[in-house]
Amino acid sequence: MLKMTHLSKVYRTEVVETYALRDFNINVNEGEFVAVTGPSGSGKTTFLTIAGLLETFTGGQYHLDGVEVSNLNDNERSKIRNEKIGFIFQAFNLIPDLNVYDNVEVPLRYRGMKSPERKDRIMNALERVGLASRAKHYPAELSGGQQQRVAIARALAGSPRLLLADEPTGNLDTQMARGVMELLEEIHREGATIVMVTHDPELAARAQRNVHIIDGQVVDLAEDPRFHHAVHSARANSPA
Amino acid sequence: MTVQIKPILSALRRHKAGTFLIAMQIALTLAIVCNALFIIQQRLAHLSEPTGLDEPNIFVVQNEWVGQATAEQVDAKMREDISVLRALPGVQDATPSNSYPLRGGGWDDGIKLKPEQLQDTSGAAIYFGDDHFIDTLGIKLVAGRNFRSEEITSMNVRDRLSPPVVIVTKALANKLFPSGDAVGKTIYLVGGPTTIIGVVELLQSQSVDRWAAGFAYRSVIVPKRLAISLGGWYIVRARPGQLDAAMRAAPKALFEHNPRRVINDEDGILSFSQVRSRAYERDRGMAILMGVICVVLLAITAAGIVGLTSFWVGQRRKQIGVRRALGATRQDILHYFMTENFLISCGGVVVGTLLAVAINLWLVTRFEMHRLSLVYVLAGVVILLLLGQGAVLAPAMRASRVPPVEATRSV
Repeated sequence: MLKMTHLSKVYRTEVVETYALRDFNINVNEGEFVAVTGPSGSGKTTFLTIAGLLETFTGGQYHLDGVEVSNLNDNERSKIRNEKIGFIFQAFNLIPDLNVYDNVEVPLRYRGMKSPERKDRIMNALERVGLASRAKHYPAELSGGQQQRVAIARALAGSPRLLLADEPTGNLDTQMARGVMELLEEIHREGATIVMVTHDPELAARAQRNVHIIDGQVVDLAEDPRFHHAVHSARANSPA
Repeated sequence: MTVQIKPILSALRRHKAGTFLIAMQIALTLAIVCNALFIIQQRLAHLSEPTGLDEPNIFVVQNEWVGQATAEQVDAKMREDISVLRALPGVQDATPSNSYPLRGGGWDDGIKLKPEQLQDTSGAAIYFGDDHFIDTLGIKLVAGRNFRSEEITSMNVRDRLSPPVVIVTKALANKLFPSGDAVGKTIYLVGGPTTIIGVVELLQSQSVDRWAAGFAYRSVIVPKRLAISLGGWYIVRARPGQLDAAMRAAPKALFEHNPRRVINDEDGILSFSQVRSRAYERDRGMAILMGVICVVLLAITAAGIVGLTSFWVGQRRKQIGVRRALGATRQDILHYFMTENFLISCGGVVVGTLLAVAINLWLVTRFEMHRLSLVYVLAGVVILLLLGQGAVLAPAMRASRVPPVEATRSV
């Protein structure tokens, strides 16, 4: 589904080159739920922005759903983002001027979908996250957890092949975070491929597989024993 | 590219103040620009109204006599001056007159068809001229005949105006005798009856001001030389291509013949193009002023649109990034801001159209202006919509360059 090979991302200024990702290799299979972990500044978010085609990379190869993306132009990248990828951001990133219904509708409009189909998809997505009754509410009228559920509905409405979540519970309290996490697990059980960036070992433990990044490279969890231990403990304490 | 009118309207409802202010600015600009364009057009049309004269070859001399003289002496001196002018090699013809078209002032009179009439049938400009008047001015006789030399007489300013015969313009003839048989008919000037012996095609009145608008092309030529001791005007027609030489030679010859006169250096001799330019100075000034007002208003409105859109682009940078992340292309973002401006502009032009008509109605009742043609409203609408789209283009293009990764950046 998602395969990066020897991928690098370099930020250049006049005096310095900074490698955000270096010889980065990852392979996420269809239907997998992968948690990407690592300390702050390790390159987790850079990986996610490149995976979501929000940014270009400097070297290497990236195949998304079998398509090599490095040579795609801006419009082609927009189309893939729209049709194949669903984003869930830490800060929800709902559009404050639009109500819940219109927010969920945004990617569907860019896809050029007809109004009746849009309506079906929006209402299905909102029902799935339990917010169908809040369709006419504006983001400012919702709690953080509800806003994130709307963001998940927006990501799901387009039936993406890949869900990318960037610290999806980072701005939520424990109870709301738990609800969002359960929703992601449910979506995964229904067959979605999810890649979630998190620094929270407890959340990472709930994914099928953990990928740990340090200094822009995927490393074996054993090389970061503290994190390994935290994940191991979280798995042991997990009810399921 | 995706059309998003409904969500844009929803978003605009959340930014009522900015939207309302820009729409009202567009409305006010449209209302003023429409009326200003209409006034400009009317003034420009006024500027190009024909006099009927052979303007490129005509100049006028304002002669003032020095010292007192009887009417007979003044008339004799006038005839001598006219002979001097006609003898100049660059001059085709010359005639004395009390005034000329576009001078700004002169003699006007009420014309009646019956002596007992209480109301005039028409007003008319009165031109004094001899048998050379028609040829000198280059106007066209379309019916009847010209004056004969023996019909020309001298007249003191205190005498009653009662010439035995007159020549009238076609406009006046049509007004007095709509059936087209004016020649030979009797009309009544203030001094008594007179017979129409000829009709000329076109001869504008002396003034282009509003007071003379009622009889702009209704003129009467009387076979008189007005002998005033203060002086008068000579109208001179130069031979083609010899206007400048004739204008230089005329005062020289007149002074050589009789130096006891004053011909003002500044406006004693004027070519007809100078006469026209002076006559329409206010109209031209008004047209320029209205033009400047239009440009300034349009510039302010454009600046307002650029300012507000730039502010909104800056404010919504993250939102634009989110839209890009969710699949919007650069063209979608560009189109979003262009459509947003178009919708605001449409609101503005609807209100502006009503306002334009209201302002015009007020001007019509207050200043006797003409009713605003819808063409000007349409022109104003198109100008404002294009201005809006032009003004929003730069900030909209800036918005379209916001990268999708902006969605992941914290503010």
